[in-house]
Amino acid sequence: MHIPDGYLSPSTCGTLGAVMVPFWVTAGRRVRKVVKSRYVPYVALGASFSFIVMMFNIPVPDGTTAHGVAGTLTAILLGPWAAVISVSVALVIQALFFGDGGVLAIGANCFNMALVLPFVGYGVYRLLSRNISLTNPRRAVAAGVGAYVGLNVAAMCAAVEFGLQPDLFKASDGTPLYAPFHFAQTIPAMALAHLTVAGLVEFALTFGVLAFLQRANIPVLKINHPNVPLDGEMPDRRPLGWRWAFVGLGVLAVLTPLGLLAPGGAFGEDAPENLDLGKYNLNAVPTGLARWSSFWDHSLLGGYGFKSGEHPNIGYIASAVVGMAVIAIGVYLLFIVIRFASRLRTERSSPAAPVSP
Amino acid sequence: VSTATAPTTRQQSSGTPRWLLEREVALCPCGCIGKRSKANFIDKTITGASSVMRQALFTDEIAAQRGLMQRLDPRVKAITMLALVVTTALIRNIPVLIGIYVLALVLAAASAISVPYFIKRVWLFIPIFTGIVVLPATFSFITPGHVVLPLGNWFGHRVGLTSQGLRSAGLIVIRVAASISLVVLVALTTTWTTLLAALRSMFLPRMFILVLGMAYRYVFNLLGSVTDMYEARKARTVQVDNAVKSGRAFVSATAGTIFGKAHAMSEEVYQAMVSRGYTGHPRTLSAFRVKAFDIAWVVGCAIVIGVTLGVDHVSGR
Repeated sequence: MHIPDGYLSPSTCGTLGAVMVPFWVTAGRRVRKVVKSRYVPYVALGASFSFIVMMFNIPVPDGTTAHGVAGTLTAILLGPWAAVISVSVALVIQALFFGDGGVLAIGANCFNMALVLPFVGYGVYRLLSRNISLTNPRRAVAAGVGAYVGLNVAAMCAAVEFGLQPDLFKASDGTPLYAPFHFAQTIPAMALAHLTVAGLVEFALTFGVLAFLQRANIPVLKINHPNVPLDGEMPDRRPLGWRWAFVGLGVLAVLTPLGLLAPGGAFGEDAPENLDLGKYNLNAVPTGLARWSSFWDHSLLGGYGFKSGEHPNIGYIASAVVGMAVIAIGVYLLFIVIRFASRLRTERSSPAAPVSP
Repeated sequence: VSTATAPTTRQQSSGTPRWLLEREVALCPCGCIGKRSKANFIDKTITGASSVMRQALFTDEIAAQRGLMQRLDPRVKAITMLALVVTTALIRNIPVLIGIYVLALVLAAASAISVPYFIKRVWLFIPIFTGIVVLPATFSFITPGHVVLPLGNWFGHRVGLTSQGLRSAGLIVIRVAASISLVVLVALTTTWTTLLAALRSMFLPRMFILVLGMAYRYVFNLLGSVTDMYEARKARTVQVDNAVKSGRAFVSATAGTIFGKAHAMSEEVYQAMVSRGYTGHPRTLSAFRVKAFDIAWVVGCAIVIGVTLGVDHVSGR
């Protein structure tokens, strides 16, 4: 997944590098707040560790070997913010001294492997390992699943970065200037490789290391899990916070502009005048369709754009923002109504019940 | 005669079992007889570790020689090379990119780097891999355009290799090769410590440089531990080791042990730093001076960038 120079346009690299800067600054601050003046050796040895683990060849059935990225593993052992810095430093060393991954593409590679991968992987791990003791075997499985998901999401980011290139950067005669493959090719190719071999390797490595440390070196696991009990059940079984739902919705909202690049339309959603009549052996648009299709044409943002048809891209994003706002307000109003109704019912069913202490 | 017969007599007289001295059958690397034998994960990791160390030693050797790039101030070298890599990324014409690649070859030759080695180091393996990967993109299915090499009809459409697809594939392969050449050129002619000092002058935070330097140093330390563990395992292995499950368990245990070592070492390094007066604020020395030669180099690079971008703009498209 190390993107070399030349695959991505300089503007893509610059944008992703600029996106990384605030994360690097925040990561530096947050880690230094926890480890204080031992920051440099703490993070540096973490970086050496991620560099070394990226070199490990892991045996795969059929006799071949593959190597992992271990971003999730670093995040589980040192915390996600320390992983951002450690994996970034490892990637910088690889790019500058061993020519593995581009120098201009450092921003893009760090975005995929040092930001998306550790955070997604660690998030999934935390979600699955809630209320589990430190030595529970399920925790190692949770780490493996987190690594699998994290690697695949990171690969998907790389696929989107590649797939954007031929649509955004081409010469006047249509020659793609950078990576030539479209989404239709990059996404299945990356997904296939990472859902099968690379993802399973990452799972095996992360699961194996966690299982080994659970047996052999508990103090090292305690670095990033200071308050997790060794065995037995967790003392506080908190239900999952509903705020997590917003994380998923937020990610979907950020991905909205990708819809601008999707070609074609959905089956059966065209306007009647776009109907290919000959294909269905028809001479005219059916009267019912003609009559009812124009029944309502007062929509505010028809065709997900402004009525005048100008600035289609801004119109599309404005439609998305308006749509999300309308749905959010609708759901909120529904929520208020339900709460009001349930309060009315409890008051009516037990009018004299004392307020619970 | 005596030298030729000596090993056989020693083999017969020693207590080593015969099956251990027999060579395994069907181990031809090309796979022409019997089972194909692939290098197993232990050999691969040991080779990988030693090649990283060899590369680092080799870099120090080249950086110590007298050559064009070695004479440059490391800051000037880092900044001009970054500018050249950006220029390479912006260029849209294959001949101009080939010009930049040839320039990199000339610079390598002027910097006491053997040109065949330089070409091999750059082209293996990323540009060749890139070439294989972009091959399908030359077809009209993926890059539509003017078909120059028709390969038949597909539902009434002419399909084949398009000029756009071929040009795109050429662009990406030569651009990848030129970019890697420029980076390798800097990496080979600059020692690690001077490159770190150069990076510091490029507005990167001191803390980051310190982490980078320490991480690089301990990569080699930990690599030594990894090699020890793998060699110990190899020494204990008698037959061809292809057990996937126990192999994975071994790799995981090694990684876990390395993490434990790294963490313990970070504690020791910290204590060593504190005992030498470290308070959390790094101090550095800076003793570089920009000479007339460096200024001439900067002017030369500016002319190259201007000319290549100009030619690229004029050739258009």
